[in-house]
Amino acid sequence: MCLAIPMQVVALEGGSDEVLDPPVALVESDGVRKAIRLEMADRMPTVGEYVIIHAGFAIRTLTVEEAEYNLELMRRMAAMLDQDGGAPGAVR
Amino acid sequence: MTQVISIQPVTRIEGHARIDIHLDDAGRVADARLHIAALRGFEQFVVGRPAEEIPRIVSRICGICPWMHHLAAAKAIDNCFAATPPPAGHLLRELCQVLAHVHDKILHFFFLAAPDFLLGAAGDYAARTIMGLARREPELAAEVVRMRQLGQTMLERFAGKAIHPVAAVVGGFAKPMSEAELRDLQAGGQALLDFACRALDYAREKVFARFEDDDLALGTIATGFLGTVDGQGNLRFYDGVLRLMRPDGATSEFAAADYARHLAERVEPWSTAKMVYARAWNEGFSLDPEAPRGVYRVNTLARLNVCDRIATPRAQAELEAFRARFGRPAQGTLLAHWARLIELVYACERVLELLADARIIDPVVRTPAEPRAGRGVGHVEAPRGTLIHDYTTDDDGCITRANLIVGTTHNIAPMNLSVRRAAAGLVAEGEIDAELLNRIEMAVRAYDP
Repeated sequence: MCLAIPMQVVALEGGSDEVLDPPVALVESDGVRKAIRLEMADRMPTVGEYVIIHAGFAIRTLTVEEAEYNLELMRRMAAMLDQDGGAPGAVR
Repeated sequence: MTQVISIQPVTRIEGHARIDIHLDDAGRVADARLHIAALRGFEQFVVGRPAEEIPRIVSRICGICPWMHHLAAAKAIDNCFAATPPPAGHLLRELCQVLAHVHDKILHFFFLAAPDFLLGAAGDYAARTIMGLARREPELAAEVVRMRQLGQTMLERFAGKAIHPVAAVVGGFAKPMSEAELRDLQAGGQALLDFACRALDYAREKVFARFEDDDLALGTIATGFLGTVDGQGNLRFYDGVLRLMRPDGATSEFAAADYARHLAERVEPWSTAKMVYARAWNEGFSLDPEAPRGVYRVNTLARLNVCDRIATPRAQAELEAFRARFGRPAQGTLLAHWARLIELVYACERVLELLADARIIDPVVRTPAEPRAGRGVGHVEAPRGTLIHDYTTDDDGCITRANLIVGTTHNIAPMNLSVRRAAAGLVAEGEIDAELLNRIEMAVRAYDP
């Protein structure tokens, strides 16, 4: 089952035309910046807010408060797995 | 020496997927495997928690399809507590579900799948995205974005924010729908249905007309199928019995609560992800591409294969045409896209059907439920396939055991077969280029993992 890890928006680009120059959010993961398309998001994020990404598209925008609550749930889930000797979402 | 070629990440599918293609000394495909990072730990995490919290927690963690998990969990906890929601409770839940299906199908088809066919597998990735589509078909692209927003607005109007659904509660739904909301939703539902029909006409002419024999053969395998039908064999998303179809078309049916007698779960040594196979066929499990055993598929194509008919007229006409052309069961992996648009039409027709049911505005939307010890299985048909939640509670109504099977879990085995088949058919003498890798990815993308 797929984990919806919220990613924090570090910058916004584009947006001069809804179709031809759609807005893009830059998110940072492991020090690498990725451009995430926003056409499918429920609303535009502001810098500092979080997005949930599916297949390269942001599908939902989360406030900082919502995202932190979700991340805390996931951290607690991961901690529980560590006790069992497993790692969440490990790919071999 | 053998060589391993990895495609990572698979660009337009779930970000944590990887395909490894193993070549032998002669450069032929010796093996190909799809690895998907699966969420583990949710089942342990919820043990000890009050059951009524689960529908709200799961939608935060499984945020790709929060509504599907929210509803499957709510249905399971209803069963733990022996609570039967009133008719309006079920109708409002199903309305949320079909609207979420509409949103998902528009995203998948127009943003992820269509560019492959409209713009060709050879184009570079950036050009093959919706941007490429927008340049060629600006009016369509703008309408796609508008309709996706309309579906979302409709859902939020009566169910609150779609980000973390809380509207389904144990025993029913959080609040009744007003007549004013109903009238608004009816207008929106008609607009969605009109768009869905235009989208299918467009796709038939511009996308599916380009399906050639080699497209239909891409990643194609002969497997069984699993989906949900009602007592008359009609396609259902929200409730009904599970129907398992063998590769030859023979079917058997079972209640979701009995899933463990008909399906078996296992973990292969090379993968961390759980796989599921058809225990009921008594043939064990094998991913041998020449003679797979126990392998079935879920998702759009599976649902259209297992149902006898669709109870709404436009979708039924489309199903008949589809079946006349491709037979039953249709095995072509890429036909999942066509099936997805037929399901989009069904979902929009079902929105109108639900809104036309006078019981949907009944003020009684919830039956009181008392925590108690019990076991409950809840299932729905999610965009990615049959979703099963299974919980056991103690006397205080806290979770003592949980097991989930999500759509992609059923499909990991057949996706591996499809990748192997696609790679073996495309890779010759170790020659691999970007177009070929994208074509292998297309076989995975059809499953919408």
